[in-house]
Amino acid sequence: MSNSLEIKDLNVSIGERQILKNFSLTVPKGEVHAIMGPNGTGKSTLAKALAGHEDYAVTSGSALLDGEEIIGQEPDAIARAGLFMAFQYPSEIPGVSIANFIRAALVARQPKGAPFDAKAYYAELYKKMDALKMDRKFTARSVNEGFSGGEKKRCEILQMMMLQPKYAIMDETDSGLDIDALRIVADGVNAMRGPDIGIVVITHYQRLLDYIVPDKVHVMYDGRIVHSGDKNLALELEAKGYDWVKKELAA
Amino acid sequence: MNAFPPNDTDSSIDIGEADAETAAAIDIDREKGNFSFKEDYAYDAGVGLNAGAVDYITDVKGEPDWVREFRHKALKIFESKPLPTHWGSKDLENIDFAKIRYYLAKGQKPSRTWDEVPDDVKETFERLGIPEQERKFLAGVEAQFDSESAYSRMKEELSKQGVIFVGPTEGLKEHAEVFRKYFGKVIPAADNKFAALNSAVFSGGSFIYVPKGVKVAQPLQAYFRINAENFGQFERTLIIADEGAEVTYMEGCTAPKFDTATLHSAVVELVALKGAKIQYITVQNWATNVFNLVTKRGVAEEGAEIRWIDCNIGSRLTMKYPAVVLKGEHARGEVISIALASENQTQDTGAKMIHAASHTTSNIVSKSISVGNGLASYRGQVHIPKSLSHCKNNTECDALLINTNSRTDTYPAITVRGSQNSTQHEASVSKVSAEQIFYMMQRGLSEGEAMSLAVNGFINDLVQEFPMEYSVELKRLVELEMEGSVG
Amino acid sequence: MPTEILSPDTFAAQQNASPLAALKKAGWEQFQQLPVPQRTNERWRFSNLNHVKLEGFSLPPAPAKEIQQELLQRSALIEKVSGKIVFADGHLLGEVSLAPELHAQGVILETLSAAAEKHPALLEQYLLKSGTDLGGEKFLALHQAYLKTGYFLHVPKGVEISAPIAVYNWLAADGAAVFPHALVVAEENARVNVVDFYLSRDESAKGFAAAAADIHAAPGAGVFRKVVQNWNEQTQSYQIDNTHAENNSTVTTVSVNLGAKRARFENAIRLNGSGSNVRLYGLTVADQDQEFDQRTLQIHNAPDSYSDLLYKNALLDRARTIFSGLIRVAPGAQKTDAYQTNRNLLLSPDAEANSLPGLEIEANDVKCSHGATTGQLDTSELFYMQARGIPKETAYELLVFGFFEEIIEKVDNEELAGVLRTFVQEKFKRRSAKNLLG
Repeated sequence: MSNSLEIKDLNVSIGERQILKNFSLTVPKGEVHAIMGPNGTGKSTLAKALAGHEDYAVTSGSALLDGEEIIGQEPDAIARAGLFMAFQYPSEIPGVSIANFIRAALVARQPKGAPFDAKAYYAELYKKMDALKMDRKFTARSVNEGFSGGEKKRCEILQMMMLQPKYAIMDETDSGLDIDALRIVADGVNAMRGPDIGIVVITHYQRLLDYIVPDKVHVMYDGRIVHSGDKNLALELEAKGYDWVKKELAA
Repeated sequence: MNAFPPNDTDSSIDIGEADAETAAAIDIDREKGNFSFKEDYAYDAGVGLNAGAVDYITDVKGEPDWVREFRHKALKIFESKPLPTHWGSKDLENIDFAKIRYYLAKGQKPSRTWDEVPDDVKETFERLGIPEQERKFLAGVEAQFDSESAYSRMKEELSKQGVIFVGPTEGLKEHAEVFRKYFGKVIPAADNKFAALNSAVFSGGSFIYVPKGVKVAQPLQAYFRINAENFGQFERTLIIADEGAEVTYMEGCTAPKFDTATLHSAVVELVALKGAKIQYITVQNWATNVFNLVTKRGVAEEGAEIRWIDCNIGSRLTMKYPAVVLKGEHARGEVISIALASENQTQDTGAKMIHAASHTTSNIVSKSISVGNGLASYRGQVHIPKSLSHCKNNTECDALLINTNSRTDTYPAITVRGSQNSTQHEASVSKVSAEQIFYMMQRGLSEGEAMSLAVNGFINDLVQEFPMEYSVELKRLVELEMEGSVG
Repeated sequence: MPTEILSPDTFAAQQNASPLAALKKAGWEQFQQLPVPQRTNERWRFSNLNHVKLEGFSLPPAPAKEIQQELLQRSALIEKVSGKIVFADGHLLGEVSLAPELHAQGVILETLSAAAEKHPALLEQYLLKSGTDLGGEKFLALHQAYLKTGYFLHVPKGVEISAPIAVYNWLAADGAAVFPHALVVAEENARVNVVDFYLSRDESAKGFAAAAADIHAAPGAGVFRKVVQNWNEQTQSYQIDNTHAENNSTVTTVSVNLGAKRARFENAIRLNGSGSNVRLYGLTVADQDQEFDQRTLQIHNAPDSYSDLLYKNALLDRARTIFSGLIRVAPGAQKTDAYQTNRNLLLSPDAEANSLPGLEIEANDVKCSHGATTGQLDTSELFYMQARGIPKETAYELLVFGFFEEIIEKVDNEELAGVLRTFVQEKFKRRSAKNLLG
């Protein structure tokens, strides 16, 4: 399938410890998939490994982005291929303004030396910021520096909207957000939904899924997906708790 | 082997006298490189330094006797002073004073061709978008380029306001009264060995006088003026801002200055009279075979303000510690400094604030980046003697280390007496974190781009202090340096 | 018998009888060769070298019986101790005492002379092995030449000393020179707690002290050392401490400097093992014409090591302080955390605080910072207290003592903290009395 993010039998270790165990998942464009699971089950590892973080060693398996192998590529190449990861803990980059940062990321996607339309860029940036209810003064602030949790997450969504990825992985985007911030983030993701993007929402809680209604829900445990279903699976999980999954597996 | 030579801290500070030991700005410049000199100059003081060479320089320039005397006295001081022993770099010992050519007359340049200019320098010109004609000039392939007319226009406008903007030779001849009053008073020849050297053989540089109350709107650029008489190997600059006057001076430019001389030792003296403001902006980007040892000091009278904005990117070894003597009450001094020490470079820079009156304020912000085995050092001195009150100093030094073998040193010296004086010094060392780089790469930036963005971010607040065209070029220059540093 | 310390005869006479003769001879030879500190020496920058005088001091005989009795009685500043040694004018007074249970566990507490006879191999391994990089070579050499009144504290693997060992060093006779030494070795996972007191019998006798310490913390060991320097103000004091911290060891030193006319204190810490953790605290109260010259070195030779230094100086009258501290991170010592803070409180317009905080960093993945501040008491705080009805003098003292308290509480021993508070208060009282008289 060339119009999907196709992860096959992915094995990932951190140091000596294997985290992902034959992890497989296919996310076609146009769908939103939620991955849920208890802490320490490998959800964030999946995100980091797909994004090419060097601490996460892929020992075997593949991940095809519209048919193109991304495993083994540099993080920037993977990003330019169309994978966006919203970080659980976005880095602070002192002295680099949001406007310049996103601009640099867009320029990196252009052919070398191609002219950059700054006017159109700012018009677009402001439009997206307005949609996210972000103060325009934000553009001059250093990336994530001194941001509240909610501001950081909003900044991630802004970047996603500006960079127009083919696939996005939201790594616990909801953690540390109050309900208003959560709604704004969800609105942003919902606004981006469409036939040209596949989205993976990683979350520990069902709460986020009240606002971003997924097409599919996967339950992850011990490094792989143990259950898949529709949005009702999330509700079931909420009601029964993760122990239910563990017991079921043990049985 | 660190910090300044010990000082006589008990001596009172006065222009030109007691501060002699407290001083420490030294500046040697460029290396010979691989270029051959033609031996048929119309004016050539020969190789090596002696009384004959000094006489030769003063004769060629047709200087008055007091200058000849000044030069000879300085030569004796130079000969009697040992090399500073406590400076950071042993590299100083590699300077062979006997093999240096101390004077090449106006219009004379070593002959060489564009083909001889190294590729990395050419590439930098290219990347910075320096016009073709200027590249040749900056590389020393051509003696002049066509900025004469721009300079003449500027000169005309300034002279209407009574501003003097000439070379030191013209200054000491045509404006002797004001020139002589201040020349060699802020930085006496005996200040340090390299100031003595400059005092003996100086040629080139600028003399500026801004009359009372005149506020010069546009920055005066050395670039324009100096090219008319060649870059000096031993430049001498004296700027006097009379009461209430304001002036900004910019020297250097972001393109690599490419020259064949080994040793550049400049002296810059600033005098800001009551309520005056002087801002002195430097972007130093000598080729990496150059020793750059500069003495820079300003005296700020009552309510005056002196700001040194200093960026060091080039040279093999730079030693430069701009100083402000806060001589009048409510005077303000500031040094803003950026240093980038790349592979095989030493940037030994810093600042000195000598408080000599109550209610004076000084501020130092220094940021350095060490790449590869490059060494960036901060050396500072803050001096608040007794009998003063309500003086304040704030110093911040931040160092960024890029590679595992990079190095940074920090050696401040702070002396405080008196009442209601306060100083605060903070320094930190950090690196660009792997997480930061990953975050940026996840947005599609290459590792080099991510690194240069992080480094530019680190110095961003200081870069803002430079004029627009400089700050843009500075950023591009950092990009260039950083892209070569990773992978 | 000759007694003047600069005389070769004095040296020879005391050397011959010592089991440490060879070491002493080497020290004497070095002392002869080394120059007196010069103004141009960076490591003596800002020091007033006019105060450095080696002439006119001698090795005194043991104090008279009644003076010995008096000093033994006065050597009880803290009651809860696990051991005690008292020296006066370079002589052991009474007996070395050590808690029997510690003795049973193999703890060694001896004078250096006795240890040289009984434990020559251990001394060979640890005594005076490091030299100094901080400028006091000549004084360390002299110390070595006249080595005698030191102690050796050796704590075997896993043994813990909780109540401190107290060591008292007294200067009594006029013109006396003493050379106290502290050799402390904590073997693997041992815990040791020791206090060194430097005291004068009276306020008028001139004195000279060149002390040194070698502190070794083996892997997993914990060393807690406190130094209380309260010589009289006629004394020249030099103190050169070297500390070696191995893997996962913890060393904490608290140095309180109150006495002497001129006191120089060199403290070098070598973090040789990863996971080592060193904390250095210093408190100095300087008045009259006192000069305190502090030189510190935090050398990180191993990755994942931590050091933190906090030196606080309060300056009165015409006193001077010099704080020169350097953090050096060796190549490869990644993940180092090293901090250094110097706070100077100027309580007189004629006092002078010099601060030279330095960094030499040769590894890039480190967290290193230093800060140095010099200033006066916060006038708004003074006013606030006065507005609550507190007299200005009281408010002033409260604020000043608040400044000290941060260090005093680090001794983590209420008895000792009380002693320190008393010493500091006495110094303040003495000063106001002098002021009233003046």
